[in-house]
Amino acid sequence: MRETWVVGAASNRFGRMPESGREAAARVALEALDVAGLDPKEIGYTFVSNCFGIAERQAHLGPLINTALGIPDVPSCSIESACSSSSAGLHEAFVHVAGGFEDAALVVGVEKLSHLDTLNATSYFAMGADYAFETRNGATFPGLYATLAHAHRQKFGTREEELGAVAVKNHANAALNPHAHFQKPITLETYLRSPVIASPLRLYDCCPFSDGAAAVVVGAREKHPRPSAEPLVIRASARSGSIADMHDRTTLTGLPATRTAADKAFRQAGLERGQVDFAEVHDCFTIAELMALEDLGFYPAGGAGRATTEGETERDGRLPVNPSGGLKAKGHPVSATGASQVAEIFEQFNGRAAGRQVPKAEIALAHNVGATGGSCSVHIFGRR
Amino acid sequence: MAEPTQPLPSIEEHRRAYEDGTRLRGFRSACGFVTATWGLACPRCGRRDVEEVDLDPRGTIVAFSVQHVPSDEFLNDAPYAYVVVDLEGGGRVSGWIDGVGSDEEVAVGDAVVWTPTYKPGVHFRPAGAGASEAASATGGG
Repeated sequence: MRETWVVGAASNRFGRMPESGREAAARVALEALDVAGLDPKEIGYTFVSNCFGIAERQAHLGPLINTALGIPDVPSCSIESACSSSSAGLHEAFVHVAGGFEDAALVVGVEKLSHLDTLNATSYFAMGADYAFETRNGATFPGLYATLAHAHRQKFGTREEELGAVAVKNHANAALNPHAHFQKPITLETYLRSPVIASPLRLYDCCPFSDGAAAVVVGAREKHPRPSAEPLVIRASARSGSIADMHDRTTLTGLPATRTAADKAFRQAGLERGQVDFAEVHDCFTIAELMALEDLGFYPAGGAGRATTEGETERDGRLPVNPSGGLKAKGHPVSATGASQVAEIFEQFNGRAAGRQVPKAEIALAHNVGATGGSCSVHIFGRR
Repeated sequence: MAEPTQPLPSIEEHRRAYEDGTRLRGFRSACGFVTATWGLACPRCGRRDVEEVDLDPRGTIVAFSVQHVPSDEFLNDAPYAYVVVDLEGGGRVSGWIDGVGSDEEVAVGDAVVWTPTYKPGVHFRPAGAGASEAASATGGG
């Protein structure tokens, strides 16, 4: 296996895109290639993620992006793994490049849903769950995570203030991120006053419906020894899965796929949990960040809430978590999220994260979940 | 590996049965795991000798959330409770209870009964709330 790097990455401003997903994806892909100093013709394969492209009456986006980039003869394919789509795309790119099949590959994730109303957007999001056995029985996406939150509270006594601390922290980080959907900090009081969406989750426990696009360029070290920016060495690229239906799993207080993907990733990287300097984790809801920190092995089960209220996961804490603002406040354009986590880590490694720069960026982890954990990616990055 | 002991129903047959109120179908694996979720092999042990069983309509809530923002199929039903129910005799299913507006109206450990309505999904009611007909009609396990 060849040493493989992320040589370029880019994200647009999440929120409401005036342009189509197709346009945004092509623009952000070109930006990532420019950051890498690569000509599009050097790309051997393009992996595109756009779960809800049908909401724009468009599928088969890969050839459209490659054509727009002037490389119509480059192969492409769509990678769908719900909210973990573009991290799954990154994994495929890694496999292709590390395995020697291509010297460089492009990963693009994009989503545009802002033209839908809340009812339709909620219905689209619910498609990531099991339609026949969950959604048709009343589950919504917030509802499924809220059920996990209830179970977590029942077992560990998780307090509303602990969930609120995740929201307050991530909004504060997003306020320093020009790419974030939400640009304003919130207080715990604002959080506690917000309406309940799916008990116990309130409006400020939930990520927004965002438009957005992000791209990552992956290259083999031996072919791209002098990238334009400081590359991320891909120390681990791990994927895992678990029983699709939440009710059939052995636990309702965590996501088994996160645990198995994390174990695999740390084994691949040859690293311990304590060596990670910061992490971008999948916080589609505040409870998801707490469960992620526990399932990834950074905290014992039931221990992440207290660590969060004590500031351990703030930018200057023991383990900065979601300096980008996370899905919660940076936004969650489903298929762009995994690639955008990598774009944030790229910024941090290159010292370009300005006010949200973490004190130490030598080893970073990205964790991206599909739906309620039917699929999951964990990537670990280091320096050359 | 052993083949299924009998042909398994399609998802559509399965759905129609519980929405018509005729049967709440499930599957039991040779390892003992019972689920309502359709599959060709056991999601726990991977064995293919899965047999169809009638699930008991009575159960206990193990987790829930009151939904205030529904998806399109439940547009006129919010608020309601999405519930995960452990059925007597085995099997855990997702379902819902209509008319629940707050966390104070439902609790983990509450007894519920599968009570079909004209609305979609596996619908439950609190046990003893005039919902015992389904239990008796299907034998109650």
